[in-house]
Amino acid sequence: MSYRLVEVELTRAPEPIALGPEDHGLGLIARWKDRLVGFEMLKLDPGAVLDAEAVTELAERKFGARVVAAEIEAELAEARPAFAASPPSLTVAVCTKDRPERLERLLRSLEPVVRDGGGFAAVEVLVVDNAPSDERTREAVERLGWPRYRREPKPGLDFARNAALNGATGDLLAFLDDDVVVDRGWLSGLHGAWAAWPEAGGWTGLVLPYELRTEAQVMFELRGGFGRGFERIVHGVEKRDNRLYPVGAGIFGAGCNMAFDRRLLLELGGFDEALDTGAPLPGGGDLDIFYRVVRSGRPLVYEPRYAVYHQHRETLEQLRRQYWTWGLGFMAFLVKQMRHDPSLRPRQLGMLRWWFASMIEAVLWGTKRRLFTEVGFSLAELWGGVVGLVGEYDRSRARVRRIREVA
Amino acid sequence: MSRWTVRHLDLAERPQALERPAGGGSVYAVFWWRDLPLGMRAFDPGELPLDRRGLEQVTVEFGAKIAAARLAELGGPAPAGYDGRPQVAPALSALAGLTRPLQRLDALAALADRPAVDLSVIVCTRDRPEDLARCLAALAAQRSPPKEVIVVDNAPADGRTRAVVERFPGVRHLPEPRPGLSVARNAGVRAANGALIAFTDDDVKVSPSWTSELVRAFERSDAYCVTGLVLPAELDTAPQATFQVEMGGFGDNCIPTLFDRRFVETNLWEGVQVWRIGAGANMAFRREVFERVGLFDEGLGAGASGCSEDSELWRRVLAAGGTCLYEPRAFVFHTHRRDWAALKGQMRAYMKGHVAALMAQRDRVGEPGAVRRVVVQLPKFFLRSAFGVLKNGATDKDRLLASQVAGWFSGLRYLWTGRRRPVPTLAGDAA
Repeated sequence: MSYRLVEVELTRAPEPIALGPEDHGLGLIARWKDRLVGFEMLKLDPGAVLDAEAVTELAERKFGARVVAAEIEAELAEARPAFAASPPSLTVAVCTKDRPERLERLLRSLEPVVRDGGGFAAVEVLVVDNAPSDERTREAVERLGWPRYRREPKPGLDFARNAALNGATGDLLAFLDDDVVVDRGWLSGLHGAWAAWPEAGGWTGLVLPYELRTEAQVMFELRGGFGRGFERIVHGVEKRDNRLYPVGAGIFGAGCNMAFDRRLLLELGGFDEALDTGAPLPGGGDLDIFYRVVRSGRPLVYEPRYAVYHQHRETLEQLRRQYWTWGLGFMAFLVKQMRHDPSLRPRQLGMLRWWFASMIEAVLWGTKRRLFTEVGFSLAELWGGVVGLVGEYDRSRARVRRIREVA
Repeated sequence: MSRWTVRHLDLAERPQALERPAGGGSVYAVFWWRDLPLGMRAFDPGELPLDRRGLEQVTVEFGAKIAAARLAELGGPAPAGYDGRPQVAPALSALAGLTRPLQRLDALAALADRPAVDLSVIVCTRDRPEDLARCLAALAAQRSPPKEVIVVDNAPADGRTRAVVERFPGVRHLPEPRPGLSVARNAGVRAANGALIAFTDDDVKVSPSWTSELVRAFERSDAYCVTGLVLPAELDTAPQATFQVEMGGFGDNCIPTLFDRRFVETNLWEGVQVWRIGAGANMAFRREVFERVGLFDEGLGAGASGCSEDSELWRRVLAAGGTCLYEPRAFVFHTHRRDWAALKGQMRAYMKGHVAALMAQRDRVGEPGAVRRVVVQLPKFFLRSAFGVLKNGATDKDRLLASQVAGWFSGLRYLWTGRRRPVPTLAGDAA
């Protein structure tokens, strides 16, 4: 079961969209004057054809107000005095392990963007090869020539991220996972978000689906995916409509597309190597760093123009495992947070209560509708959360200590 | 709950910041483009001050929706979805030619200058002379004075209301000894001479352009009924803030919205959500409405079932093929209930009146989803709210849940009261 993924430029007259015999729906990415303004999933019958009129109607309903918003932003930008501060330099770090094909795909999408510079003073790309089993990644980078290569023998994503932090030279440090490709507006989007909020400590960006080829990919996106919307969001110290803020750090963005003020990361002591360790505890490191940035008093800015396309898990088994790691990583992160930041104790306890109630609610919701795959995802996440809550963070710290001793 | 301040901010003036209130606390901000209301948002102390960039984001967000719903070439008033929310869908073909939408808001913000010589204003009141005096003072200050102002003095305990009315030259005093808001409103309608009939309440202060904006709204559309924006006059107490900020008050958007056949048809199966159309504190009708569909149901409303006499009449308007228009340019300020006891009483009355109105709708327009809403949707809503307390912890809003459930219980008897009497007609006695 796949969805057809189509991109439309709304300044041009809409054309009919025909689904293939295997397509059960449509994923529609909309641009206005080349700028991303919306993404919608629409369930349809296989082989269905949306005529131009239906596409127009859909676009007006779903994206029309965002187009007017984009025009107002342009109008306000005209009236704004020119931005004076000198642009920063940027290091783009890609942490990867044994996936040279995906890495090459990402680097190919990065090349024209980096060559253009996007408004930054200088841009370098740094590939961190994390405990590789062979030389394919190094060879791929050397073939291209322009990215820097660095090896981190200690296995674990946050070891690799800290290696990037120590090897980077840019004022800003952006991270990309190897399973994404960047949008052509990615770099200028990050620059725009920096120019609007230069005092921010971190920036996160839009994550759209790279493909909707399998049932797992469609289900992940229908369940919310990584989507955080098409409006810039500035996350400050408090949030009126979120009583548990900033404890549930999932609202900030995703680790596959994030950037920071490098000096702030160094001040904060970098990433927590006991999180995002790969196999036993593959998650929570991004939540942890977002949380610490916001708690340091610096805003975190979500910018939709700073966009990537993420290749979601292809099989239902992989997806179920991902939800399990989300539960595990989130709870390990929460346990750590409760230990290190006790001033937010009431909100942390509130989050525990909210999280378990939400999971149980999701299980009941799915059971009632006999959506057992969905129930499986929720149970996996719930079980991951239980394991994460009962000592996983400490177990992971012990494992990481051993890794450091070996190295 | 923290202290609240209501702030009005004109974004056309390009303000530099939304400051913290001098005495601390939260801010309920109402954003304007000159005289055009754009939207409202609550801010916690930790979110303030909001600097120029934050205000620009607000300008973008609200400005886009208002421009999309108001610029004629983009399609005009947004049709209401099943939940009464405006479905803003500007025409793609016109968007290409759209430049500088904010500049275009200037023309939209110009105040109406229509004479209101065909508009009658009816204020129903019962033993609240101080409130009434403030209400009449605001009506006396209209840019376009109405044809007449009629005060219906409902079952008064004494002569104080009459004494207040006598201080305002030209305001008619109409005694109505039978108690009940619907009875009083019907008496007002029968006595009114205007082709348009507007209602407001004694705890409301209308804006100076209220009458002329209502007249403009009727001139520009063929709607049978126009409702307007009800803003909080103050949020000085926790119950007032809870009602406005947590529960949405009497409406929390400024997007002109058209309630028509589509609104009815999309939600017949669980009861058309007519109460989303507006509030009785700020509504107006063409006189023909009362000729075509009758007057207010005297079994509904304050003093009888509790409320919803307004929405039940809107339902009949929609059933007769008429439309209702929400036009926030006609705005008023309402003083919400100041203490918990009063707010709890109001919530109880609302829920009871809501059930009663649903049954009246079932009997009159054959509302297919009415019973379903009473016996399925509302209990579900209560259970969801209770589960929400388990999940999120109790908030001030949840203090009202018990009152709502109690109101629902006491409304259940309307399920069995059988077919009701027909509504009174304009001609006089109930047909």
